[in-house]
Amino acid sequence: MKLLMVNVGEGRYAVPADAVTQIVDPAIEPEFRLEKSEAVFRGERFTLFDLHAASGEHPGATPVYLLLQGVRRRAIVAVDAAESIREVPAGDIAPLPPFIFARPRRVIRGVFLDGDGPRLLLDEDALA
Amino acid sequence: MSQEGDERLIGFHVDGAAAALPLAIVREVTDRPGVVRVPGTHPFVSGVALHGGVALPVYDLRRFALLWPGRNPEDPRTAPEVADRLIVCDWGEISLAFLGARVDLVEDRGESPDGEEPEGRPCRMGGDFVKRYLHFHGEAMALLDIDRLFSSLGVPAAEPPGRRETGEDNPARG
Repeated sequence: MKLLMVNVGEGRYAVPADAVTQIVDPAIEPEFRLEKSEAVFRGERFTLFDLHAASGEHPGATPVYLLLQGVRRRAIVAVDAAESIREVPAGDIAPLPPFIFARPRRVIRGVFLDGDGPRLLLDEDALA
Repeated sequence: MSQEGDERLIGFHVDGAAAALPLAIVREVTDRPGVVRVPGTHPFVSGVALHGGVALPVYDLRRFALLWPGRNPEDPRTAPEVADRLIVCDWGEISLAFLGARVDLVEDRGESPDGEEPEGRPCRMGGDFVKRYLHFHGEAMALLDIDRLFSSLGVPAAEPPGRRETGEDNPARG
């Protein structure tokens, strides 16, 4: 599956590239603004998922925002950098045991080895 | 799951306190691998490690507050000890791992059946998760009650092989 590799603080994540509608850079996109737990982009409101807070990371100085299309709705996630798009065989992604999560809503689908370390695969449906 | 009859244990240290698990559930002990923190997990889950292509949940018992009755965070004895080993356990069809230091084989001689700590350096672990205390190399070692501990950590009860359905939790949804 084709994945977009992103960084959130020290954390390394990936998201299915097909789910990324747009990568928004607020420095060059005047029609983007944040309002508490929402983001407004071109007049439309989106749920803003704070992955920095969820992962215990401090937000970077110049985040970019991923506009994600989930099964039910769209959402926006802030990341510190979008690195690359790569093809990762589905069989290389190990599912995470559900019992490690504190709540039923799980924003991580699985984990895979990427270079010299593991990388987590985000669940766009749980984020949106 | 019961390990009655097998007297061999794996001893290890967590934050300076000695604990033991039945050797029967321990698959292997390795150097600590890269552990990636996963958002949204229980506070006592350190993260997951990729181990043989499987996402192995890694538990840090320092963060399981119920195991440390009366622990004072200001107590200098709670200064973190580097947990440089990974104790990989099989619990039915589930694999999980604990971080630990100074891992050693221990023989269970059945000390302290009344639950009292033997003389020597005390063990700070306690509560319902300690089956009894052993005396090992001059210190008290808590033999952990794995049924209660794993249940409280959220680990599903061990099931006979084959009961778990295949195909669930497919991350690729293929």
